[in-house]
Amino acid sequence: MSDVYAWIRDLFLMLLVLSFFQILIPDSSMEKYLKFIFSLVILAAILEPILNLVSNF
Amino acid sequence: MDENMILEKQYENIMGEEDFSGIMEEASRLTEGLSDSYTMDRIFQSVLSGEGIFDSGVAIEGLKSLFLYEIQNALILMVEILSICVILGLLHSLSDGFGSKSISKMSVLVCTMVIIGISINSLRISWQLALDAVSAMVWTMEILTPVLLGILLATGSIASGSVLSPLILGAVTGFSVLVKSIVLPALYLSAVLSLLNCLTEKNYVNKLAKLLRSVAVLLTGLILAVLTGIITIQGLLTDASDTVLMNATKYSLSTFIPIVGGFTSDTVDLYLRCMHAVKNTAGVFGLLMLLLMMFVPLAKILIVAGVYKLTGALMEPISEGKAADGVNDMGNAMVSMASIVFFTCLLFILFLAGILHVGGNL
Repeated sequence: MSDVYAWIRDLFLMLLVLSFFQILIPDSSMEKYLKFIFSLVILAAILEPILNLVSNF
Repeated sequence: MDENMILEKQYENIMGEEDFSGIMEEASRLTEGLSDSYTMDRIFQSVLSGEGIFDSGVAIEGLKSLFLYEIQNALILMVEILSICVILGLLHSLSDGFGSKSISKMSVLVCTMVIIGISINSLRISWQLALDAVSAMVWTMEILTPVLLGILLATGSIASGSVLSPLILGAVTGFSVLVKSIVLPALYLSAVLSLLNCLTEKNYVNKLAKLLRSVAVLLTGLILAVLTGIITIQGLLTDASDTVLMNATKYSLSTFIPIVGGFTSDTVDLYLRCMHAVKNTAGVFGLLMLLLMMFVPLAKILIVAGVYKLTGALMEPISEGKAADGVNDMGNAMVSMASIVFFTCLLFILFLAGILHVGGNL
């Protein structure tokens, strides 16, 4: 159970930090690439417990 | 000697040794005193006299004061959230005037975070209430089921008593573990995730939150269906075999014993029926306690959920960003929690009804 809470806490912090970053980055041609990388990071954070579970078997 | 005296004697013999004050205290705490008037003795008196046990005036007064208090609290919450939204809208239009995009976005983010903070706090209270209600119901069942099954054995339903006892106790314990450690935490996390989702412009964890919620509710429904099916079918089967056994006993008593056989058979029959009345008293007490333990927390959670939904609807025109969606999802999560409390109560009531039903057709 504590793993699940830790997972949600990680997601919370990550979303918070990333949404601040998204506001702070200057308007440029790199913006959409950065946003894509942010989505990848969040995808990795969501997948992390599942990957852990699979690798244990 | 009339039948009331026999009943009273048997009731005192059985219930004199059991202690239900723990259940009463727990129910009283959870329902804020609403359950105090429904004691076991009072139910038994109304069984003896054949009168109703509900005093509608008192019940309505209690409910009214309870609900008015809850609605007042929930409305204060709504006003808080709405005023933050109005400030948010004002800030947004002001900072648009300065021409800086990032400042206005930042103000939306900060205000959304304040709304999330308020919402998570009241979500935690509702979650604790749901958890308390489930714990109290499980506790009631754990105290009441052995007593009821003991009386069930005394009514002559030997097969039912011995088969249902491990089944029901196992089912109650298993269900409580499932609800308390998987389903309710999953609902809580799903609500937190859907609140998080309204921080960002894009949907990142919306579907994940919905997945968690539907898995939790589906799991409960599935377990409920399986357990009810098993207990009901098993109860019907063993009840049939018990009826055959009892009828055979009564028939052989009255036929094969000369002269006093008829009296003996009738005495046994009377004794069993009185035991049945005592069992029903204990069962009705359990049902009443379970219903009250379900009803009051359920109503409290649903009032808060309704206010959240209303706030979401009112917020939509004035708020920026996705705060309205988040508040609306909070309402949905609370409705799911309330439904879990309801499912738990339904399952336990079906168990009790199964025990009460057994031996009814001697």
